[in-house]
Amino acid sequence: MENIKEETIHHTAMKLAEEIKNLSIYKSFYSDVQKLVSSPSVKKEDFKQTLQQAMKEKGLDTKLRNTVFHWVRTQNKQNKLDPLTSLSKASAQWEKRIHKSLNSMCSDLETSLAKIRSQSEQEELADKWNELSTYSLDLSKYRPVYAPKDFLDVLLTLSGYVPFTKEDEPKWEFAHLPLQVKTLDQLRKIYQEWANGEPLLGVNPNMPSTVPGFATLEAERIGLGERVAVLGYAPVIQEYLKKGSPQCLRAKLWSQVLGADVKQQQIIYFNQLKKNVLEVDLMIDKLIFKDVQLTASNDDQYFVFEDLLYQVMLCFSRDGEAARAAGASALRVAVKGRHAPDCLIAFPPSGVIPFHGFTMYATPFCYLYDDPVQLYFMFRAFYMRYWHRLHYISTHPQGIVSLCLLYERLLEANEPLLWIHFRNININPIRVVFKWLMRAFSGHLPPDQLLLLWDAILGYDCLEILPLLALAILSFRKENIFQVNTLQNVDAVLADLSTISVIPLLQLALMKS
Amino acid sequence: MTFYKKCTDSDSILNKRNNRRLKFATDFDKSIVINSFKIRDWKQVLPNEEWNIYWSNTLNCRTLFNHENGYRFQDRQLINHFPNHYELVRKDLLVKNIYRYQKNLEKAGHPLAEKIQETLPSAHKVTRYLYLDFIPTTYVLPSNYKRFVDEYHRFPQSTWIIKPCGKSQGEGIFLINKLSKLKKWSRESKKCIQNNLPSKDMYIISRYIDNPLLIGGKKFDLRIYVLVTSFRPLKAYMFRNGFCRFCSIKYNSSVSELDNMYIHITNVSVQKHGEEYNSQHGGKLSLKNLKLFLEGTRGQHVTTRLFENINWILVHSLKAVAPIMSNDRHCFECYGYDIIIDDNLKPWLIEVNASPSMTATTMNDEILKCNLFDNILSVVLPPSGIPDARWNKTPDANALRDFEILIDEDSILNEDLILNEDLKVKRNT
Repeated sequence: MENIKEETIHHTAMKLAEEIKNLSIYKSFYSDVQKLVSSPSVKKEDFKQTLQQAMKEKGLDTKLRNTVFHWVRTQNKQNKLDPLTSLSKASAQWEKRIHKSLNSMCSDLETSLAKIRSQSEQEELADKWNELSTYSLDLSKYRPVYAPKDFLDVLLTLSGYVPFTKEDEPKWEFAHLPLQVKTLDQLRKIYQEWANGEPLLGVNPNMPSTVPGFATLEAERIGLGERVAVLGYAPVIQEYLKKGSPQCLRAKLWSQVLGADVKQQQIIYFNQLKKNVLEVDLMIDKLIFKDVQLTASNDDQYFVFEDLLYQVMLCFSRDGEAARAAGASALRVAVKGRHAPDCLIAFPPSGVIPFHGFTMYATPFCYLYDDPVQLYFMFRAFYMRYWHRLHYISTHPQGIVSLCLLYERLLEANEPLLWIHFRNININPIRVVFKWLMRAFSGHLPPDQLLLLWDAILGYDCLEILPLLALAILSFRKENIFQVNTLQNVDAVLADLSTISVIPLLQLALMKS
Repeated sequence: MTFYKKCTDSDSILNKRNNRRLKFATDFDKSIVINSFKIRDWKQVLPNEEWNIYWSNTLNCRTLFNHENGYRFQDRQLINHFPNHYELVRKDLLVKNIYRYQKNLEKAGHPLAEKIQETLPSAHKVTRYLYLDFIPTTYVLPSNYKRFVDEYHRFPQSTWIIKPCGKSQGEGIFLINKLSKLKKWSRESKKCIQNNLPSKDMYIISRYIDNPLLIGGKKFDLRIYVLVTSFRPLKAYMFRNGFCRFCSIKYNSSVSELDNMYIHITNVSVQKHGEEYNSQHGGKLSLKNLKLFLEGTRGQHVTTRLFENINWILVHSLKAVAPIMSNDRHCFECYGYDIIIDDNLKPWLIEVNASPSMTATTMNDEILKCNLFDNILSVVLPPSGIPDARWNKTPDANALRDFEILIDEDSILNEDLILNEDLKVKRNT
């Protein structure tokens, strides 16, 4: 048995060694190792030992470990054919609808989906690049392609794919889909530290610390966090984030845990994206401008950052690497003004058609990074690991469909009276929380609470905390919900989340026995 | 309006116990003012009738305090201004009082007045206060015109901002960077003076802070509310929910933009008329979010220091005027402090307002100002709910709510007394 295990490890290691050669950091990493080998600290007689020791001292050991960590994490993201063909069919149909809508918008407005920008336009855009809020565009005829509500309607029809339904059962339950989701008890096992009642930073940062030398929990976490940041070892950082990060360390820790550090290479890459934005005018640019204007620019928590957000969202749309995450099939369109052979491009290169509120996936990072390149890579890393799951139809256990089902199951099992109330007033319970789930609560919770929630997403590397929080909020406000009986009034009860303390609420839900 | 709390049972019971409702008068026909009293079941009366609290405008307040009118305040009456608040609130008087405060401390050899010598990037050597340097160099015009010109010639590259002493809401403010521009103006103003206008100090000119901290490329200032219930001993409270007021256009320090008011003047009344003004957020960002942003991008240490320095400015500006303020027991006042942070994270005091606007520009603003007003009442009213000029003005923690104690010289004094008593007891045993 041991031999088989050894062999698989060996096999994986060989594969990994090959794969690493293809990674972008390989070249500089290899030359660093070469330099180390030629230094006096590495001896020919005891090559392996001294090299390993030298690598540890120079931080190359940590670098390698982090690379392996990130590689392993991305391996799970291989695109397999979606086992539930009904879902994959629905997904393909939905994408077709979006593309059709884009095309008709394009012909209605008598513009092209993609065209080369004129020299003067390029210059103007380059000039105003740092203050795109002053770049005037007539966006009055452009409308967002779809909104969370529309996406929800599509998801609800998924339930219609059930071959057998009893007559009296409402057709809108996700429970009909043969997807496995966890129970609250199983969630407790995942969020063990919370369920055990361990002190969390988001509950009371001023509570006295149990560790000698620190007056408060916050001071203790900062002390530990600084050491963790210096060590720079991603799995340790991930573990640390489970109990919440102080705001002053978040920027560093988040970028380390997702491998989104910005070096010269990243700056060059970002500038290339910017160049692409300047050269080719995609119709999507207008949609991006419109979305930033409608959402971030009107939001009293994020309006200050609108200029940064324009840059980030525009560049994101040109980033082909983002397309790998979702595996979506992008439109291929001709670029007006360009001639064969390379006149066809993916529209957009990122494969992501932004919907109303898409910008909100990026806004909270503005409280961590004021440099657009750092902001960009952080947002992109989050998108590629988490956010894309929230607006594509799939059977993935972290996908939006599974999250909706998880929410439904949790509500029915743990708040049966609420569940019955919703049935009695004929409101699908998913309707009142869907916009929270799809946006990972961005724009609904104040930034300080939101960042604590996203700490937990990173720390436990899963999105299941979103439906859990939705349930906890409903539970918290259930007395008010019982007193109303229209969708509008339920929405009103849940409209203002500014007084919600996210972490205590969640810990309470997980600790209940 | 869902954010006005309902009149509580305890309010009505109190009123019934008193056999009459408490009365308020106001010169401002604003819902924020009127509703805050109404939910406590107070009755509105006219200013010339018997009232318990008068939310007055500065003119009427001054008239009341005028000796010639012989108005005597009763114990159960409170008014929302101190008689000579202009010592703090008029731009020229504030500056004069702070300069005097600095000089007095320096003369007494007080460690607070310690000075430090610095070499500027331009190779100029300047001396400034280490702890008391919180207003930009300012001269009162026309009386200090000569001294200003001397300073101007020492640093000819600087920009200066001129503000009329008696105006507010950003009115009449302009920037200059050439002495010639000022000369033209001063010639015109001398003409006005010759035409029979009183020749008191009409303007101040201050060094313009041309390196403000920018967020998202935009300039902003802070508005912080400070409630003072007594000057001697000094009792002041800071409202936690201050906010930043952002300019709607990107900051541009180039000379050609000196006249573009929307860039430089952050007053909402000016910004409101700009094309870019957004009435959803009104260009206001909460102080809480500012702190979050600075901690996230600059670290905790410098952020904590910045906010400590802001508190320091608030306290010392009040200490500067405390000796000369008329400490009438019937008075309390909520000041609106305007502070600018430069890109070294150093805060500067710009001015203090006595009648911060009770008009709300956005929904959030309305909620904030309602809370502020209601909170002011809960701090100035004793536990009985009846105004009492003889009360010791020490609100309990529940009454403070969103106000935090900035300084309470009374309790410091009491602590000293208790400490002394303890020592006496120890010595005797």
